[in-house]
Amino acid sequence: MLKKTIALAVAAGLALTACGDADDDSSSPADPTTVTEAPERIVSLLASGTEILFAIGAGDQVVAADSYSNFPEEAPTTDLSAYDPNVEAISGYDPDLVVVDGSNPDLVSALEGLDIPVYVSQAPRDLEELYAEIESFGEVTGQEAGAAEVVAEMRADIEAILARVPETEVPLRFYHELDDLLYSITSDTFIGQLYALAGLENVADAADPDGRSGGYPQLSAEHLVEADPDLVFLADVKCCGQTAETFGARPGFSALSAVRDGNVVLLDDDIASRWGPRVVDLLDTIVSAVEAAVAGQPAAA
Amino acid sequence: MTTVAPAVPLARAARLHPGWVLAGVAAAGLAAVAGLLWGAASLPPGEVIRELVGVGSDLSDRQVAIVEQIRLPRVVLGLLVGGTLSLSGAAYQGVFRNPLADPYLLGAAAGAGLGVTLVIVNLGEGGLTPGYVPLAAFVGAVGAVALAFVLGAASGGRSSTAALILAGVAVASFLTAIQTYVQQQHQDNIRDVYVWLLGRLSTAGWHDVRLLLPYAAISAVVLLAHRRVLDVLAVGDDEAASLGINPQRSRLIIVVAATLGTAAAVSVSGLIAFVGIIVPHTVRLLAGRSHRAVLPLSMLFGGAFLCLADLLARTLAAPAEIPIGVVTAFFGAPFFVLVLRSRRMGVMS
Amino acid sequence: MITCQGVSVRLGDKLVLDDVSLTVPPGSWVAIVGPNGAGKSTLLRYLMGTVRGVGEVRLAGQLVAQLGRRQRALQLALVPQSPVVPEGITVVDYVLLGRTPHIRPLGVESAKDLAAVHDALVQLELVELADREVTTLSGGERQRVLIARALAQGAPLVLLDEPTTALDVGHQQQVLEVIDELRHDRGLTVVTTMHDLTLAGQYADRLVLLDRGRIVVEGPAAEVLTEDNLAAYYGARVRIIHDGDRPVVLPVREPRIVRDRTS
Repeated sequence: MLKKTIALAVAAGLALTACGDADDDSSSPADPTTVTEAPERIVSLLASGTEILFAIGAGDQVVAADSYSNFPEEAPTTDLSAYDPNVEAISGYDPDLVVVDGSNPDLVSALEGLDIPVYVSQAPRDLEELYAEIESFGEVTGQEAGAAEVVAEMRADIEAILARVPETEVPLRFYHELDDLLYSITSDTFIGQLYALAGLENVADAADPDGRSGGYPQLSAEHLVEADPDLVFLADVKCCGQTAETFGARPGFSALSAVRDGNVVLLDDDIASRWGPRVVDLLDTIVSAVEAAVAGQPAAA
Repeated sequence: MTTVAPAVPLARAARLHPGWVLAGVAAAGLAAVAGLLWGAASLPPGEVIRELVGVGSDLSDRQVAIVEQIRLPRVVLGLLVGGTLSLSGAAYQGVFRNPLADPYLLGAAAGAGLGVTLVIVNLGEGGLTPGYVPLAAFVGAVGAVALAFVLGAASGGRSSTAALILAGVAVASFLTAIQTYVQQQHQDNIRDVYVWLLGRLSTAGWHDVRLLLPYAAISAVVLLAHRRVLDVLAVGDDEAASLGINPQRSRLIIVVAATLGTAAAVSVSGLIAFVGIIVPHTVRLLAGRSHRAVLPLSMLFGGAFLCLADLLARTLAAPAEIPIGVVTAFFGAPFFVLVLRSRRMGVMS
Repeated sequence: MITCQGVSVRLGDKLVLDDVSLTVPPGSWVAIVGPNGAGKSTLLRYLMGTVRGVGEVRLAGQLVAQLGRRQRALQLALVPQSPVVPEGITVVDYVLLGRTPHIRPLGVESAKDLAAVHDALVQLELVELADREVTTLSGGERQRVLIARALAQGAPLVLLDEPTTALDVGHQQQVLEVIDELRHDRGLTVVTTMHDLTLAGQYADRLVLLDRGRIVVEGPAAEVLTEDNLAAYYGARVRIIHDGDRPVVLPVREPRIVRDRTS
C-alpha cells in the first residue's frame, strides 16, 4: 500500500535527515495520494498550517514559515508574506512542498510552473472537517501517526470540555468582536460553530441572515446595546489593545450587562482566528466563561 | 436725462431669503428628529420623545443609553460634519471660482489619509489608540494644504488660483503615493485604513462632538463673515483688487478657515465624499448664486443631508451598517440630477 | 489730478512702458491712443495698481503707493475691457460690487450704498433692466452696466479700457455721450484708451500717443492726429479732414498698380 511505503520511507528518511533531498516530480497540486516521498523542505504560508505541522510532528520538515506563523516558538518564521507572496523568495528556500490556503490560485499556478508541489489546505467549516484536514496534513508529510494522535487527543479534550457546559433554561447570548467597528462572526463560520457547540446564541446572526456578508457582518452599536449579550469575547486584544475598559468606555456601552457584570472576556487573537489544535484552548476559554456567568461570577478571568 | 429720480423702488440686492433659511432649519430639524426616533434598535418613538423632552419615559436604562449616548451624539455629529463639509465646499468653490472644487481640493484628504495610515501602521501593534488617529488626520490634512499653499505661492508668483490648484493636485498625488507604499508594506492593516477612508459616523460619541465643535464653530463664523468678499472675488483677482480688496489675503483666510473645519470633520468621521460638492451646487440651483445665500444654506442643508444619509446607513440593512459614503452618493446623485433637470426645464420654458 | 512720473513697466523680458510721464488735469478727458502693443492697457493697469513697475504716481498730490487698496479704489475706478461677469449675476448686484470700497471689510451694504446703486442705474437708464442677468444683456447695455458700476464706486477718476471696441457705431456714440455727460454732471476725470481715433478726437480734451512704451506726441486732437504722425507711428496711410475744429481720420487706399506680367 502506498501509505505503508511512505511510512517506511519516513522511517528511513529520519535517519538521513541531514542529506535528504526529496525530489518530487509531482506537477499538480499535491493530492496526498500522489506524494511519493515525505517532504523534507516544507514552506508554510499558512499560520494555521504551521501550527498543525508542528503539532503532528512534522516540525523538523519545515524550513520556512510566513511572517504570521508565530506559533509554536520554534517555528522558523521568516519575512515571507502570506498576503503578497513572492514566488522567487519562496523558491529560494528550495522547497519540496509549499502549504497555502485557497485564496491565491495565481500563486499555485506560479509554483507549479516551477515544478514545486503545492498543498492547498481547505479551511474547515466545522470540527469534523478540521480533524480531516489534520489527517490530510499527516498524509502529505508522512506523519499519519502523529496526526491520528493529535486528532484523538483533540476529540477527547473537546468531549471533556463540552461535558462541563452547564444546563441553562435559556441559552446565553454572546458577541464576538473582530475589531472596534463592531465587525463580528456569524454561526456559519468555523469559530461561530464552536460557540454554538458551547450552547451559546450569537447576537450577530440577525445581522447576516442570508450570509451575504460572508459570515462577517458589521453590527451597529444600537443593535448591540439593545441585544445586550450576556457574554462578550474580544478578539482584537493583541492587535489593537482592546480591553474591557476600552470596550466599556464606548458610547452607550456602559449600559451593557456584560460590562456591568464583568463578563467581557479577552481572547488571544491568534487562537481565536486560526484552526488547528489550539481550538481546544479556545473552547476551554469559552466554556469557562459560560460556567462563570452561569454561576453568577465575572467571566473575565 | 432727468435730474429728478422717478419714483422707483430702491435697488434690491441679492439677499438670503428668510423662506430659505426657514426651510433649511426645518430640514435640519426634521432630519435630527428622524435620526433620534429611528435606528437599528426599535424603540417606541413616543417614549423616545418623552425621554428627550425630559418628561420621563418607560424606556429601560439600556434604551436610554441608546438614545442619549449613541443616537443623540451621532445625530449631532451628522449635522456638524455635514454642515462643515458643505460650507467648506461652498467656500472652496467660491474662492477658486471652480465648480468642481470640494473641501479636499488642496490635498486635505490625501494628507489625512497618510497621517492615519502612519499612525495605524506604527501604533497598530501596540494599540490602536483612538486618540491618535483623529490627531494624525487633522495634522495631515492641515499639513498637506499648507504644503500646497507654499508650493503654489512659490510657482505662481502671487499665488494665482490655477497655480494653487495644481500644487494641491501635486501634493495630493505625492502623499497618496507614499500612503499606498506604506500600506503595501503593512498589508494586514490595509482594511483598517480603507475602512477609515470610507468614512463613518458609526463610532460617534460625545467625545467626537466636543472635538469637532470648536473648529466647526470657528470655521463657520469666519466663512459666513466672508460671504460678501466671496461675491467680490467672483470677478477675478484683478478686478477685485481694483475694487479695493486684497484677493490673496482674503483667499488665504478663507482657505485656512475652510481647511480647519474640513480637517476637524475628517478627523472624527473619516473621508465622507460627495457632501462637500453636491450640496452647494444643489443650493445654488435652488436659491441663486450669491454666496450670501449659498454659504449659510449649504451649512443647513448639508447637515440635514448627512444626518438623513446616516439614518439610512444604519437602518436600511440593520443591524448591519452601510458605509455612509455609499449612501450619500447613491441617494445624492439622482436627487441632484432631478434638481438639475427641473432647473434646466425652467430656463428653457 | 493724477500725475505719473518716469513710469517704466517690464513684463517678462519686454520693456512695455519706458519712462512715461503724464499729467491729467481734473475734470478733463484724456484719450491714450497708439498702435497695438504700444502699452496703453498696461499704463491703465499700472495706474490701477494691478501691474508693478517703477515710477511715481500721485493722486491729488498724494503718492498712490502710500495709499491702501481701499483708499485707491475710492479715488480710481476701472472699467475693464474684458470684465469677468459671474454667472447669473443681476445688474443690481453687479453694480453693487462698485460699492465694495465703501463697505466695511466684513460688513454689508447700507441704505446709502443702495441709494448710490439706484442713482447709477437711473443715470445709465438701467432701471428697467435692474433684475436682468448681466450675461443676457446686449453689448451696449452691458457696457452701460460696467460704467454704472464705476459710477457707483464714486471715484472722481475713471479709467476706461477700450470702452467702445465691441460696439456698433450707434452704441459707441451712446456710451461716449453718457461718459461725457457724467463728466460734466459730476466733475469726473476720465482717462480712456481707444482704438477709434476719430471718436477719440471728438470726445477727448487731449490725446496722448503712445508708441512702443513711450509718449511720442501729446496735445489737442488737431495736433496729434496728423497724417505725418499716423504714417510715422501707425504705418497707416490716412487723410485728415476737419469737421468743425475736430479732425476726422479717413483711411486711404492707394489704387493697386497692376503689373504688366508680360514684359
